[in-house]
Amino acid sequence: MRSLVAGNGFRLAVGTITVVFLGLFFLLPVIKVFAASLLDASGRNFTISNYANILSNRFFITGLANSLTIAASAAASSVLVGVPFAFCLARLPIGAKAALLALAALPLVLPSFVSAYALVLLFGRSGIVTGMLQSIGIPFESIYGAKGIVVVYALTLYPYVVLPVTAAFKAIDVSVEEAAQNLGSSRARVLRTVTLPLVLPSILAGALLVFIEALENFGVPFVLAEDQTILSVEAYKLFVGETTDNPASAGVLGVLLIGCTVAALLVQRAILSRQHYATGARRSAPLLQVSPAMRRLGAAYCWMLVAAAIVPFAAVVVISLMQFSGPVLHFGLSVDNFRQLFQRSYRPLTNTLLLATLAACGAMLIGVPLGYVVTRHRSRVSALIDVMATSPFAVAGTVLGIGLVMAYSSGFVILTGTWVIMVLAYIVRKLPFSVRSAGAILHQIDPSLEEASINLGVSPALTFWRITVPLMLGGIVGGFVLTFVTVASELSATVVLYSGPWTTMTVAMFQALEGTSPGIAAAAATVLIICTLVPVALVYRLLRRHELSML
Amino acid sequence: MAALTIDGVARSFSGVRAVDDVSISVGDGEFFTLLGPSGCGKTTLLRMVAGFCELDSGRILLGEQRIDTLPPHKRDTGMVFQNYAVFPNLTVGDNVAYGLRARKIRGEAIRERVARALKLVQLEGFAERRPHQLSGGQLQRVAIARAVIIEPKVLLLDEPLSNLDAKLRVEMRGEIRRLQKLLGITVLYVTHDQEEALAVSDRIAVMRAGRIEQIATARAIYEQPATPFVASFIGTTNLLNGRLLSRDGELVEIAFAGTAIRTSCARGAPGDAVVMSLRPEALRLLAAGEAMIPGWTTLTGTLCDIEYLGAVTRFAVALADGTQLQLMALAPPATSGAVVVAFDPRRVVVMGGPS
Repeated sequence: MRSLVAGNGFRLAVGTITVVFLGLFFLLPVIKVFAASLLDASGRNFTISNYANILSNRFFITGLANSLTIAASAAASSVLVGVPFAFCLARLPIGAKAALLALAALPLVLPSFVSAYALVLLFGRSGIVTGMLQSIGIPFESIYGAKGIVVVYALTLYPYVVLPVTAAFKAIDVSVEEAAQNLGSSRARVLRTVTLPLVLPSILAGALLVFIEALENFGVPFVLAEDQTILSVEAYKLFVGETTDNPASAGVLGVLLIGCTVAALLVQRAILSRQHYATGARRSAPLLQVSPAMRRLGAAYCWMLVAAAIVPFAAVVVISLMQFSGPVLHFGLSVDNFRQLFQRSYRPLTNTLLLATLAACGAMLIGVPLGYVVTRHRSRVSALIDVMATSPFAVAGTVLGIGLVMAYSSGFVILTGTWVIMVLAYIVRKLPFSVRSAGAILHQIDPSLEEASINLGVSPALTFWRITVPLMLGGIVGGFVLTFVTVASELSATVVLYSGPWTTMTVAMFQALEGTSPGIAAAAATVLIICTLVPVALVYRLLRRHELSML
Repeated sequence: MAALTIDGVARSFSGVRAVDDVSISVGDGEFFTLLGPSGCGKTTLLRMVAGFCELDSGRILLGEQRIDTLPPHKRDTGMVFQNYAVFPNLTVGDNVAYGLRARKIRGEAIRERVARALKLVQLEGFAERRPHQLSGGQLQRVAIARAVIIEPKVLLLDEPLSNLDAKLRVEMRGEIRRLQKLLGITVLYVTHDQEEALAVSDRIAVMRAGRIEQIATARAIYEQPATPFVASFIGTTNLLNGRLLSRDGELVEIAFAGTAIRTSCARGAPGDAVVMSLRPEALRLLAAGEAMIPGWTTLTGTLCDIEYLGAVTRFAVALADGTQLQLMALAPPATSGAVVVAFDPRRVVVMGGPS
């Protein structure tokens, strides 16, 4: 559909700004990472010895295998728990579905490493539950390592499967199912041969999101991995240098991470290219008639899953309000932990609020016009820009952070150590989301509304302000808040880019994890939870209308 | 003087000629319809007049003024969209007033004209409602009020009834026609529904693959189709292949299905293959023992495929050479088996060239 509102000048300006911005703060850093991986110690000569070194090192090969296994297991377990949940939500007559869907989506805006930390507090070596179990003589297996990481991923990332698959289950043309039954298939056979294949593309899309998020996540393995090597953590360690900083090896790991993501994308596309489904459903598929027992079973499953996902966060909040003396917990309410957390300064909190606000503004300012252009004006150029704006999703935060430091720590523009570089990283990372979300809102606004306004004598520019912007506003506000909260709980790029005065809440928590008192870390986690929950709750009605469907 | 002139207009989309050298002249106060199957270019042509689609060549004039070079918001064409395009963020009243405000009309004048426009489309008292509270038919009325209130030089309607259910569609088309006559407004109307086109139009342009097949009044389109496409697209017909035997001025003799008929036709030379259209209702069965009608042609065949449709009955007669004729009568045929079909040869329309 041709855009009438966006004139040539507007499109050119938006296209240019996007290309320049992404070129400077996304492509250049990624190229720097590639370059570092292909240059020798002097930084001048081409070499592949860095790859040879890494790939012949058992330590890193294990790390690569660990990362891939964990990401794949996380995707598989998310599908395993998420698809039945989506099915119950879409097709079974259970109550309070709106609440269930909202609770299921909640982990997406909460920082996942907080959930990991809750697991440590409850079931870790000196965890509360572990202690209780041991005191009554029940041995408890360790939750550290791959097992615990996969559990946390499944519980925090399964909404990525639930949201698209629920929509897909609802979009199924029920007459196709009826045709299968009419031809003699049992309910179970219909599910296996018709329903599930039809939602497979959505399942794969969700699984891919989980895989990529799990691969790039830094916080969860940092809390739970212990002696297991995980690529995203190792890249950070190599770069920041617990021993000596090693940009070449960090670069190689960064390239490997990007490679894994791109490979996963290609596999998904290869599978999907062989199946094209367009459903002709005009309305949501009707609910299935099931026995009361089945209904109760479905409801019980759904509530147990959302509870399991949310309980860790609630536990952290409760623990943050308890008294600690050193690492020892006393059962008694207190705000001591918060006092200690903010003892030195409130800077981490104000930093988080400030940086997240700036980043959300930036992502919206670039993302909304860009989303408008790529949605309303289809052309080869706009398709290319669209791909460019979406690709930051495939680059781990740690890797982007490393690239930005490589690109802007010397030369004409030095940004390292400033808040600017952090905000730039956040905008780049959230741009795919803001472009997608603007596009999704626009898909709900018929282009003929703009045409009607112009036809009635209102110029294109004025039409944009009088018709397009008011209609998009709800979605823009929703997108702003979601960007804000996801930036507030961002850790993987932050941990590479922050500097002393620009410590954020996530970093404060990250540092507290290594300290002695779990109370302070729990307090930091609670502050983060509040920072994300309050804005989301404020605009929940808007989000329900616009965003939950495309998160 | 023509109110709207479309002069040699063409447009291609990636090599396909969507609109191919189309010229139309719409008279002042005329209800002119573009009719054709989907993809024939009728909507593209309408959007060219509104300014939402650029021309590769040709001109469009409103009265004396050339408009294809103007931006769409300066053209003074009121458009009614297929999906209504009622602004969901504005009340009904603000929707209708939208075009007036763009024309810097303010205050009491707006209120008065909006009330009058809403009354015109039978939506009195709806000004404060929000669009989501309205039914499809009501939204359609809002869209029409919003377009006519600016007193456009031409009112453009793009399949305005296709989203309504069958009964409402018939009601609304009558209302659109009533409104058009009341306001004396020039209308360019796009539809793929031939019955709708016949019912409302002063003149119809039948389009196919970007070209105009015929421009004529509703009656002429049906009774004197210019091409086999027009004959079969409007209503149902029997398309028959024949050969021109001889010509005497306008009078021709044509051989087909083992017989020969005399009728009048301007085109074609002896020996030419021709295509003829013969409407099902022009054919009738002769009852057993019924006398021949003087001047009519008769054919013998076998009755098959009877479709009882209530008000009328359709049936087919297979001729000896395999040709199937479609017939329509008010009552189902009383006979069966071998039958005699009769028709007035003057109702045969000869179109020249095989179909």
